[in-house]
Amino acid sequence: MSTLTDILMEIDDSINYEKEKALIDDRLLDSFAVISLIGELEETFEIQIEASQIIPDNFNSVEAMEAMIRRLQGMD
Amino acid sequence: MAYHTSIYLFLFLPVVLLLYQITPRKIRPFVLLAAGYVFFWIISGELVWYLILTTLFTHYIAIWIEGTEVKNKKGRKRILIFGILVLLGVLGYLKYYNFFAQNVNRVLDQVHPGVAITMKMIVLPIGISFYTLQAIGYMVDVYWKKIPAEKNLAKVALFLGFFPQIMEGPISMYPQTSQQLWKGDPITLENLTGGSLRIIWGLFKKMIIADRLYLVVQAVFEHYDKYNGVVIAAAAVAYTVQLYMEFSGCMDIVLGSGQILGVTLPENFRQPFASRNAAEFWRRWHITLGVWLKTYVFFPVSTSRIVKRWNHFGKTHLSKHMTKLGISAIALFPVWLGNGLWHGARWSYLFYGMYYFTILLLGIAVEPIRDQILKVCRINQDAVWWRMLQIGKTWMIIFTGELFFRANGLRAGYRMFRSIFENFTLDKLWDGTFLSFGLDKADYFIVFCGCLCVAIVGIIRERSLLDTQQMQKVCLPVRWAVYYGLIIAVILFGAYGVGYQQVDLIYAGF
Amino acid sequence: MQDSSSRRKKIVRSVIFLAGLLGLLLWMSHQITDFTKKNGDMIQGRNKSIVEIQKEPENTIDVLVVGDSESYTSVSPLEMWKNQGVASFICGQSGQKIQETYYMLKTALTHQSPKLVLLETNVLFRNMKGVKGIQEEVIQKADYYFPIFRFHDIWKNMLLGRKYTEERYKGFTLRDMVQSYDGGQYMKETTEKDQITQDMENYTDKILELCREHNARVMFYSAPSPLNYSYRKHNAIQELADKKQLLYLDLNLHTEELSIDWKVDSMDKGDHLNLSGANKVTQYLGAYIQKRYELPDHRREAAYQSWQKDAASYVEKAQKRIMLIQDRGNSGK
Repeated sequence: MSTLTDILMEIDDSINYEKEKALIDDRLLDSFAVISLIGELEETFEIQIEASQIIPDNFNSVEAMEAMIRRLQGMD
Repeated sequence: MAYHTSIYLFLFLPVVLLLYQITPRKIRPFVLLAAGYVFFWIISGELVWYLILTTLFTHYIAIWIEGTEVKNKKGRKRILIFGILVLLGVLGYLKYYNFFAQNVNRVLDQVHPGVAITMKMIVLPIGISFYTLQAIGYMVDVYWKKIPAEKNLAKVALFLGFFPQIMEGPISMYPQTSQQLWKGDPITLENLTGGSLRIIWGLFKKMIIADRLYLVVQAVFEHYDKYNGVVIAAAAVAYTVQLYMEFSGCMDIVLGSGQILGVTLPENFRQPFASRNAAEFWRRWHITLGVWLKTYVFFPVSTSRIVKRWNHFGKTHLSKHMTKLGISAIALFPVWLGNGLWHGARWSYLFYGMYYFTILLLGIAVEPIRDQILKVCRINQDAVWWRMLQIGKTWMIIFTGELFFRANGLRAGYRMFRSIFENFTLDKLWDGTFLSFGLDKADYFIVFCGCLCVAIVGIIRERSLLDTQQMQKVCLPVRWAVYYGLIIAVILFGAYGVGYQQVDLIYAGF
Repeated sequence: MQDSSSRRKKIVRSVIFLAGLLGLLLWMSHQITDFTKKNGDMIQGRNKSIVEIQKEPENTIDVLVVGDSESYTSVSPLEMWKNQGVASFICGQSGQKIQETYYMLKTALTHQSPKLVLLETNVLFRNMKGVKGIQEEVIQKADYYFPIFRFHDIWKNMLLGRKYTEERYKGFTLRDMVQSYDGGQYMKETTEKDQITQDMENYTDKILELCREHNARVMFYSAPSPLNYSYRKHNAIQELADKKQLLYLDLNLHTEELSIDWKVDSMDKGDHLNLSGANKVTQYLGAYIQKRYELPDHRREAAYQSWQKDAASYVEKAQKRIMLIQDRGNSGK
């Protein structure tokens, strides 16, 4: 999912997304970044992200986000 | 029976701890539950029924939501909305009825003189603003399937009625505390000493600093028309410090009490005065309220259809920055309205909420320009002077906000704010005005030294120079000297006894 | 094994820590008590009497008076000394709560063995309901065992050289203010009565028990005060006194025998008595208790020489003040 990395780079290109595993917990991404991210993800991957999904566990790393996207795609 | 009183510290808490320790593991959670209701009853008497009914209601709504088929999305949502509306309705009625009546009457008086809604004597059950939020959070979490609905009513009851949290929070989420509360582990020596130390630290802040500054704050804010210039400015600072020392001190007592019982409650403060902007301040000050509003207001609104439509519209018609600004406005407004309203039925609190809404939005609005300027001027954002400047700016924002927050009404707040700029001369600080509030030079000196201690501890925490683990490794005599010193300081320099008045907790009133 | 030994080590450490803390508090309390005895004028008004009673030579006081401001504005020990030779002392405090009364007595009785304790009854109506009462008990108990709590902020007065100097005569001060009471008769006979709470009764029992242990008898008295007393209260107090088999003297029923002149003898419109009123009450009360409790006359004893000297200076000053009071009272100021 290179598109995911592209989206993330678009939001903030100063972060090393490969390495960081606590994007939310370490406050690398703030709530506004998360919201923009959600908008992009919904559009790109044609998924619905509800408020209940917005927990640090789902956004802390690229892998976590990928897992969430796959889960949500599977549900649809 | 507030947490800083001798009856809580020397009687209630020890008795609860003793009963807890001597009962079998399975009974222990019920000891805590009983303690919660006794605590509530001592303060609010029969109003404990509000808590009991809220508990029952929340419990069954959650079970109902879970029992409804997943496919019946609308049905589940309706139950949730019903649950939230009932809880907010009770809270709203108790807190805002008179405010509403008063303002309606003002309008009615213009239209139909003589017609008026009657005002009512309403006594608020203690902590209703805190447990209501916890109850709503729990129902929503069940709705979102973050957690299963709890089958054991007593667990829900203890979650909502854990005695250290009743008066002033912290506002916890169900997964944060419920399991811990139910463990019934025996009290360990480590927890007992660690918790006690934290309680003493809380008393230090409350009794040495906050209760002294109370006198200055009271004198100036109640008779604001007598003062101007630097006196008002200093009073705003004094109130901010008082509020911080009191609220965070109380939290230390609360979290310390929890710690003794082996329960880690969520932190409510994290060195707020080290914040570099208003948004950061709110991530460090009254954290659990901020987190609650973010989880249950901000994110739901920002994933709502309105925001999505805006996002879509923005993509095609607006710049990225404008789109973000729009989303922020839509999502932040209910958060700050809620924050203001939550504090109570006063225009001052509403203003307070809108004040921060405006400041945060402005912060986002000027972001691109600011970044440009920084680039052009080649300012290193991590330079100490720049950081200090930012922290200083944030302090001004905080002090101004608290001035309006504390003032007796919005008009008084505005007058006080304006009068800061009249006749602003520093010599008012030395000419004896400040000795007329009931504090003498020795008191100010103590306040200063106390703040210094708190600041040093804050810096140590902020820089993670010394955590609890490392503290254990510091040689015993030094450690003991610090402990003894703290206790003796509270005893000698605390503002209690003849000549002092006991000051009620500010946040217990919300 | 290692676990349990490190555990034991921790427990031992904690015990030592607490013992150290206790020792520290007791030591500080001891120091502060000594210090206050030597520097009485650094003590604020409300705490003065508890310091002064501890300064009196052991077992020299025969009558202790406790209660709120009604107690220390109605009895003058040196006046009583002058008339009956009875050694009395006032341990009253403004707004004394019954919990304070108890611990005040407990403190006084460690060095004194009075024959009679006079309890001014207004304190029985200062209710501390429920939690507040328990809270007060906790505070007073802490102050009693660790006086450092009571006098904790004396460092401030030391540092700033602040003094609260008062001319005091065995707990009494000369009050020469005059504000007449002109409300007329206030003790209208009735069978209705006010309520004395169960809490109060329990504390009365505690006080009686304490005094019994120290072989002191207890008597209730009510100082003349139109603002604080009524027949309803009288009935309530009388009932309690009867129940506990105590003697009760309500001076509000004897204002004529006392020849109280409300124009002159009231300090603040019928709330408290001034010096003139207090002397009148003391004359009556002194004779009353001496007869009933066979209190000794110490006037010729060598051990009480200082009392004679104090009394002489008191009488001289009191006379001047009383003349002033009469002037003020009669000119209607």
